[in-house]
Amino acid sequence: MTTLNDSRNLPQAEPVVNFDEPPVKPPPLLAVGPLAWVQKNLFSTPLDALLTIVGVTLVIGAITGFLGWAIGQANWLAINFNLRLFFLGRFEPEAEWRVTLLVLLVAFTIGLSFAAWARLTRGVMLVLVLLVALTFGLPPLFRAALPVPATYVAAGEVGIASGADTITPQPQLAFIARAGETVTVRLADSFSGDDASLSGLSGFADDAANQLRNAAARRLETSARIDEITRLLAGDLLTSNQRAQLEEDLAELSVPDAITDTYALNDASVQVRILRGTTGEEIGAATLEGSTASLSVTLPEDGWYILDKGVDGGAGNALLRADGVFPLLERTVTRAADEAGTGRSGSIAQYARLTDSFTTEEVRPTADGRNLPMATIIDTQLRGTRSFSEYLSLFVAPFLGQVNTAVLALVVAMFAGYFGGQALDRMRSPANAPRRASGRLVAWLWIVLPVLMFVFVYGLGSILPLTDTRRWGGLMLTIMLAAVGIIASFPLGVLLALGRRSSLPIVSLFSTLYIEFVRGVPLITVLFMAQLLVPLVNPTLAELPNVFRAMIGIILFSAAYLAENVRGGLQSIPPGQEEAARALGLNGLQVTLQITLPQALRAVLPALVGQFISLFKDTSLVAIVGLLDFSAMGELIVTQTEFLGLRREVYIFLIVFYFAFTYSIASVSRRIEASGAGKALARKI
Amino acid sequence: MPDTNQVTASNGEPIIICRDVNKWFGEFHVLRDISVDVAQQEVVVVIGPSGSGKSTFIRCINRLEEHQAGQIIVDGIELGNDVRNIAAIRREIGMVFQQFNLFPHKTVLENITLAPTKVRGWPREKAEAKAKELLERVGIPEQAAKYPGQLSGGQQQRVAIARALAMEPKIMLFDEPTSALDPEMIKEVLDVMKELARSGMTMLVVTHEMGFAREVADRILFFDQGRIVEQGTPTYFFESAQHPRTKLFLSQIL
Ligand SMILES: Nc1ncnc2c1ncn2[C@@H]1O[C@H](COP(=O)(O)OP(=O)(O)OP(=O)(O)O)[C@@H](O)[C@H]1O
Ligand SMILES: [Mg+2]
Repeated sequence: MTTLNDSRNLPQAEPVVNFDEPPVKPPPLLAVGPLAWVQKNLFSTPLDALLTIVGVTLVIGAITGFLGWAIGQANWLAINFNLRLFFLGRFEPEAEWRVTLLVLLVAFTIGLSFAAWARLTRGVMLVLVLLVALTFGLPPLFRAALPVPATYVAAGEVGIASGADTITPQPQLAFIARAGETVTVRLADSFSGDDASLSGLSGFADDAANQLRNAAARRLETSARIDEITRLLAGDLLTSNQRAQLEEDLAELSVPDAITDTYALNDASVQVRILRGTTGEEIGAATLEGSTASLSVTLPEDGWYILDKGVDGGAGNALLRADGVFPLLERTVTRAADEAGTGRSGSIAQYARLTDSFTTEEVRPTADGRNLPMATIIDTQLRGTRSFSEYLSLFVAPFLGQVNTAVLALVVAMFAGYFGGQALDRMRSPANAPRRASGRLVAWLWIVLPVLMFVFVYGLGSILPLTDTRRWGGLMLTIMLAAVGIIASFPLGVLLALGRRSSLPIVSLFSTLYIEFVRGVPLITVLFMAQLLVPLVNPTLAELPNVFRAMIGIILFSAAYLAENVRGGLQSIPPGQEEAARALGLNGLQVTLQITLPQALRAVLPALVGQFISLFKDTSLVAIVGLLDFSAMGELIVTQTEFLGLRREVYIFLIVFYFAFTYSIASVSRRIEASGAGKALARKI
Repeated sequence: MPDTNQVTASNGEPIIICRDVNKWFGEFHVLRDISVDVAQQEVVVVIGPSGSGKSTFIRCINRLEEHQAGQIIVDGIELGNDVRNIAAIRREIGMVFQQFNLFPHKTVLENITLAPTKVRGWPREKAEAKAKELLERVGIPEQAAKYPGQLSGGQQQRVAIARALAMEPKIMLFDEPTSALDPEMIKEVLDVMKELARSGMTMLVVTHEMGFAREVADRILFFDQGRIVEQGTPTYFFESAQHPRTKLFLSQIL
């Protein structure tokens, strides 16, 4: 036999047989493990190393900067005290149970979906249980382990000046407390002589105490500036112009006297008394002199108390440290109808304590017909830099205390759905389709839920009283708009998609024009048009509430995008599917309903989730037509006097919440898709 | 030497009659003057080079493709633009595709019962009983609850055959049913087809499986460039084919 080898003159290949079994060895140390990963991914070339170092430095800088602000300075009360506004808007309190029920049902259905279509891993369950445990466990833990921030108040009749401002301490301060709590008042000795520690004073000083802090800070600032100028003038780096300017500056600066010199701080003895707010009855009194004396009173009942303080002989000022006197938030709540218990209706002033949200509606104490001052967050705005422990006990613990029952209820409802679904399957599902029973139930629930949502939130004739759509707002409104937008636009979008592929030229032309037109204009214009044009269609529609008009706009808008998604799904189905169905004798409608459409919808499910998520975010545009959705609610909150200027905090909350919400929707849908029925379907035939 | 233009059935009345069928894709003349009759219970195998119009021809018989000139009469009904005729004919013709074309979102059982319930209007129990019987017949009774994606290629094609048979058709069309299969699965599908042929089904089969053609076919049609170039019994065809194109084709594949 002739082979190619002949002409190329190669040696004959010798047969080789290998009977050895080489031993299995571990890889070299630097080939696996974290060190190798770091070397390979972060420092493989000098440029990589440089980028890594620069990147890490920037990220660390940004994170520490942000955390420093979030822990030490930010005022998260705007969030803690407005959770209801954020989530429900001004929804009628009488109808709140309906929303609660609905949300629990949704959580139940999500749990059931996992039972029917996926699995919850032990890890996920553990995380959920841990989450609940933390929301319940942390607040008491913090309360027990961390000192509650002290309140600093000034006493005396001498005005405290800082710059152009002079503030004279008020003789009395009102506060609320609960029965059994102890209030301790003593001289704040650690600050008596020292500007540095005085200016580092943080927390809930009243106005005069704040003034003391400001005066100290100003003194430090001025002397630092004088030192700086003196140092510059001593050197020879300045032009004569600069020198003249600095000398002029220096002449204008003078270091104020030390606070202790000016105000004879904590030199005189101080009379302090604790009075009952309602009656003025004295329940404790003491004269404070020196660092050891203190007044400690256990309070008999919930309600208002008065801290009364004065300096003997009126000379000098004192700075008092009060433990157990916490600043308050004053707010006005509107009650639509008489509520059992209070017997009052209309607008009511409520006072809530920051540390634990303890709330009273008792009338604030007065003296000579005027309200007594109280330490509110408006007075102090929590000035100064807080410590981490103050951050935990002031914001984190109360926040967790507010949300823990809700979190517990959600997790319990979800587990009930999950384990309930599994139990149902054990009892009812046939062996060859072990999840059929739960699958059926969950499919029904998802179909019924949107209708229930609408019925529960809006009401139903005489069975459930209608709610006032103008009071819808917050997250509830945002979810309603997005859900209604997606669900109601679904049939329309499917029809448009089929229409665009139709062989009837008029149908396809109309569908194409509609889709392209709507996709070519911004949502905001569609919303405006829905507001303005809907009444023109039929004058009776002018009565239609704003919310519904916005919904119409969103539905019309969303349908065009949905149609394109569905069309993409239809196109992705191989033509053989339709041929096979036709060859079996199915007619056009049957082919669409049984074969092409179900497959197209399954193929576009991820895109639909994506569209829901972008709609969820885009609905923030409804603020333009006067609706208070989740983000508009944030804007509203920062216009309230108590929370003026807290825009940063509010927006951070909005961002975190939007992200958490959309991310969990996306990841739940990914999980369900990646497992169970979804997987078998995804495999190609 | 057989007449290539006019053929009479080997037994009984012809169930498919094609007279001078012509079809164009745009300017391209795919089918040229096809005239052929198929008798009841006859097994006709269509072979020919790629692009010769075999698929187009058998797809014209259940009107997945439209012919533009000539006559096709199936079971006494002429194929035209009348939708009712088309529906009536499709009910009588089952088709099996190269790519199986099972419905991936439905279980095997649902794939098979879909058409009987929707088109014939059978009650579900009847359709399911029939489906189970057919799955038994094609040798995979235990796969009823699975989705097509969970089956092997050979199993899928057998489900596709069962699906077509569920409508109790009088004629079965096969378009290269084994071409997308791995070699070890071809036999299981061919076995089912042989059993079907023996049971007296009228079959029109496009295939490259010469062994199957030799063993099962009553008649072989050789297509080239849209024409039936030569036809005859397997013995005639494989041993004494006359036309040079047939000879060339056979020399290339045997
Ligand atoms: N829808 C169509 N439009 C235009 N041309 C087509 C169309 N379908 C088939 N053709 C062309 O018609 C010719 C015949 O196609 P057909 O599929 O019938 O061939 P075939 O004999 O089945 O070939 P193969 O063995 O490759 O399946 C080919 O040249 C093909 O390119
Ligand atoms: Mg073909």
